[in-house]
Amino acid sequence: MTFNSSTSIDAQNLSAADGLLVLITRALDKLKPGEVLEIVSDNPSLEHDLPAWSRLMAHRWLGTIPKDGRRSHRIEKGSVLRVLIDRELDWGQRAGIKDGRFDTRDWLLGHAAQIRERAEPSDGFAPRGAAVERGSPDFSFDVLDRNQAWSESAAEFYEQATAGHWDGSRDIPWSALRPLDEELERAICQLMTFLAENEYSALYVPAKWIARIHPHFAETVLFLSTQVRDEARHIEVFVKRALANGGGLQFSSASTQASLKSLLDQEDFIQASFLLSVLGEGTFLDLLRYIEAHAPEPVTREIARRTRIDETRHVHFALDHIRHALRSDGTLKAKLHQAITDRASLLSGVKGLNPLVEESLVILAAGGLSSGRLPSGMKARRQLYETMHENRIRRLISIGFPDREAEDLSELHTPNFM
Amino acid sequence: MPDVIKVGVVAYDPKVVTIWEGIKDYFTANRIAMDFVLFSNYDAQVDALLDGWIDIAWNTNLAYVKVHRRTDGRCGVLAMRDTDVGFTSKIIAGAETGIESIRDLKGKRFALGSRDSGQAAILPAYFLKQNGIDPAKDLTTIRFDLDVGKHGDTGTSEVEVLNAVTTGEAHAGAIGDQYWARALAENVVHSSKVRPIWTSPGYCHCNFTVRAKEDEQRFTRWTDVLLAMDYNKPADRKIMDMEGLKRWIRPQMDGYRALFEAVDDLQFFN
Ligand SMILES: [Fe+2]
Ligand SMILES: [Fe+2]
Repeated sequence: MTFNSSTSIDAQNLSAADGLLVLITRALDKLKPGEVLEIVSDNPSLEHDLPAWSRLMAHRWLGTIPKDGRRSHRIEKGSVLRVLIDRELDWGQRAGIKDGRFDTRDWLLGHAAQIRERAEPSDGFAPRGAAVERGSPDFSFDVLDRNQAWSESAAEFYEQATAGHWDGSRDIPWSALRPLDEELERAICQLMTFLAENEYSALYVPAKWIARIHPHFAETVLFLSTQVRDEARHIEVFVKRALANGGGLQFSSASTQASLKSLLDQEDFIQASFLLSVLGEGTFLDLLRYIEAHAPEPVTREIARRTRIDETRHVHFALDHIRHALRSDGTLKAKLHQAITDRASLLSGVKGLNPLVEESLVILAAGGLSSGRLPSGMKARRQLYETMHENRIRRLISIGFPDREAEDLSELHTPNFM
Repeated sequence: MPDVIKVGVVAYDPKVVTIWEGIKDYFTANRIAMDFVLFSNYDAQVDALLDGWIDIAWNTNLAYVKVHRRTDGRCGVLAMRDTDVGFTSKIIAGAETGIESIRDLKGKRFALGSRDSGQAAILPAYFLKQNGIDPAKDLTTIRFDLDVGKHGDTGTSEVEVLNAVTTGEAHAGAIGDQYWARALAENVVHSSKVRPIWTSPGYCHCNFTVRAKEDEQRFTRWTDVLLAMDYNKPADRKIMDMEGLKRWIRPQMDGYRALFEAVDDLQFFN
């Protein structure tokens, strides 16, 4: 009998139990059905082991012949696919590493660079670019459209976020806290309570969407996970500030809760992101700047400063994401308009901000409850509301709303800020 | 064909239900009404086939031989797995025992699987005798009579044989090659302690047995649909992986000769 081997491996004395089957399997992977693998070996067990294994794996055992004082075993590769995939795997493309950095923006290589218009439910948790076996189960992700979930700059914002992470336990100068005037401390504690409850919504809303966005849009999911991490830190430092100086957590109002619940109840990703990040977190930027400007001590000041930097990133990500979505979906603008109107009517019972928070804003800016300084506090707060309104309009215009509409929409925004 | 074709299956493991619900779904999708009936042992299944309670029995080689005997060879066979052809038994020996061939087994402690396991007891004993070693006289046999009635399907007795040879409780022992290949692939064989020394001639294992030759024609459509199962289709693959095959094939009947001779020689049914 003559054999026509396609490939030959020298297995020396390696036994089937000690890794030879892995060697053979990998060698067979490189062959086509019907091609023959020769295994040259000095191990006497193989003529018993390999026929049994070949039968189990549906390869054809061709037998053993002596060869130069050794044994030559032959296996013909069978026709069953070991893994049910329909394409070749990527190979041979190296990433561009610059100055020792592998930037996430540069990971668009091979199949990983192909962003589909609609993600495949059965790709599940496989990283984009992996070859997914046929028969994998459909996952129930419901944000599948590129237009909804993809953002060109998510990778860039993700890089910024990972570089900008800080530590709420150590990066705030906690030891600088001294006893404050009681009314001022109470106002700060009330503001911290209010900020913390808002931050919970800012954590839960993206967290809810992470679980619903298809992993094909990895950059968006990764960015949102940094946002969740940021908000966790914000909750941490706001609660800590309320507790740190002998005050404590203050009131949470029903109207604030109603406003925040309406964000979590949103069932459309873009609309949720628009209401939370463009309008809510956008408005918060001015609030945090106000707290930073009027903080009577370095702890509150540093907390406001650091959280504002994070929030700026959240707002810019959302602006960028929605600006792109608006460009490719002509019906989206009307939907966003409707989302604001719907939320406004849902919250029609919410006539204003939690009055204790409103007063606290005045007391903070006035530096306490002294009658001489209250007017300047009232003025500062009025100024804050105007700035919030102006900046909301500016942001709405920047994503493509006409001036007049932007102004109307800003007015419809919840008095709760978020 | 009857309205609903009833296939008998021995429930040697809970997964049997999953496998056969899958096969039933497959036949339903191909517009053949089929149901399965579970038995706890092959003797009961053979009786049910002969009494007409079931139409087809998914039999081990030993159960098939029994049906063959009881029908005076009038039974028929529809199909089998690709892995049911060329099945072998292996003799494995402790690496330090100095046992190199069947001749060296004389006077040694020899482990065998369940007494009704074709691959780990009946056929090895027969082949040893053919090769000049009479287990009854020449060996001290250690028998692992586990899950008797299930004809070695559970594989538990083969696990014990491998353990006994690995630990030195037995000098050598017999197992089926399917278990051996799995044990090798699953990394449970210590190559420094145990190695194969002999492989039997190939024989056939399970098949779908019917009461009469004519039934092979009656169930043509069932057989054709079964044979069309495709390992490269995800849904089919799930079933086939669990049942341990890559392809269903037409029966190859000369693979049962050794077992006929073995049961006669050992007077197994007497
Ligand atoms: Fe935040
Ligand atoms: Fe935020």
